[in-house]
Amino acid sequence: MAYTPVPAQPRVPEVNLGDAFVTTTVDAVVNWGRRNSLWPFPFGTACCAIEFMGVVSSVFDVSRFGAELVRFSPRQADLLIIAGTVTYKQAPVLRRIYDQMCEPKWVISAGACATSGGFYDCYCTVPGIDEIIPVDIYIAGCPPRPEAFLEAIVQLQGKIGQERLRDRRAVGAAPVVAGAGA
Amino acid sequence: MSAPSHAAAAPLAAGLTRDELIAALAPFGASVDPADRWDLTLLVPRAQLRAALTHLRDDARLRCDTLLDIVGIDYLSYPNWTGPRFAVVYLLKSTACRHRVRLKVLVEEDDAALPSVHDLWLIADWHERETWDQYGIVFQGHPNLKRLLNHHEFTGHPLRKDYPCQKRQKLSANDPMLDQLTARLRQRGWTVLDGTAEVRP
Repeated sequence: MAYTPVPAQPRVPEVNLGDAFVTTTVDAVVNWGRRNSLWPFPFGTACCAIEFMGVVSSVFDVSRFGAELVRFSPRQADLLIIAGTVTYKQAPVLRRIYDQMCEPKWVISAGACATSGGFYDCYCTVPGIDEIIPVDIYIAGCPPRPEAFLEAIVQLQGKIGQERLRDRRAVGAAPVVAGAGA
Repeated sequence: MSAPSHAAAAPLAAGLTRDELIAALAPFGASVDPADRWDLTLLVPRAQLRAALTHLRDDARLRCDTLLDIVGIDYLSYPNWTGPRFAVVYLLKSTACRHRVRLKVLVEEDDAALPSVHDLWLIADWHERETWDQYGIVFQGHPNLKRLLNHHEFTGHPLRKDYPCQKRQKLSANDPMLDQLTARLRQRGWTVLDGTAEVRP
């Protein structure tokens, strides 16, 4: 049977397709999914964690922003919320939890203690968790109001919306190449 | 303002008075601390400390069944102080007789060591570890004199007055505390097959 090439079709302008198609970029679609389904891991060590309970509960209701699915395993979370004082004795634990989270992952430092050590200006307190792990958003307050938590999540969503897959990939130690493993 | 009513109403059930407590501990060389305020603080010589504490616990009239705390003091840069640098205070309470007494021992810097009393009160185990951790006072005979509050890579004793308060010390890896875990498991009748290394996820 002889091969008969399909004749080239004339290109149809998108405006003629109505609502059947939406054109966008991969970044926009992926970021839309990521920023609206953040799964927080609360690393709560002090009173800021009590405030975070208010954020999750019904009055302030963080699920309005898609971040209500609190996970207590770092492997199931992509948003690490450090709410409270971190001591040097705890620091390796926090670092290991951060390392166990899968990319992409983001960090919110909630309150004065996590951000700067707060008023614990002494030998045992880490003066800001950015000594240990990278931080995306800092929240001021001692403890912050729930509105401040929500503002941080909204700001983080804006930040995630700016990300490009190419940039994220470059941060990691080694790029993931499909089929490269044994 | 008047005193709360229950203070006057509660009788001290067979508790010893201040003078009786002083007399009971006089055979151990105890004298009233010049800095005594509230309740009763007695200075005892180090050689008599264990005997005095044992007597306080076991004597039928004293019955100090609770060791509330063991506290260190660093007198460095204390105004008008000429005595030894350190002191350790034992805070005792009798829940049966409702009296309290504190024993204070002065400790020289060159010879900062005291006998352990972990066998008299079980809680002394941790109190002595904390005092060692923060002040560097050795408790001889303690079964496991490790740091309690600070991490195991910490050097120095932070509540000493010559420790720079803001000198921070990083910790590279946590102490898995397997020594205490395996000891506790064996104590409860478990057989520990391999407790030599931490299992990392």
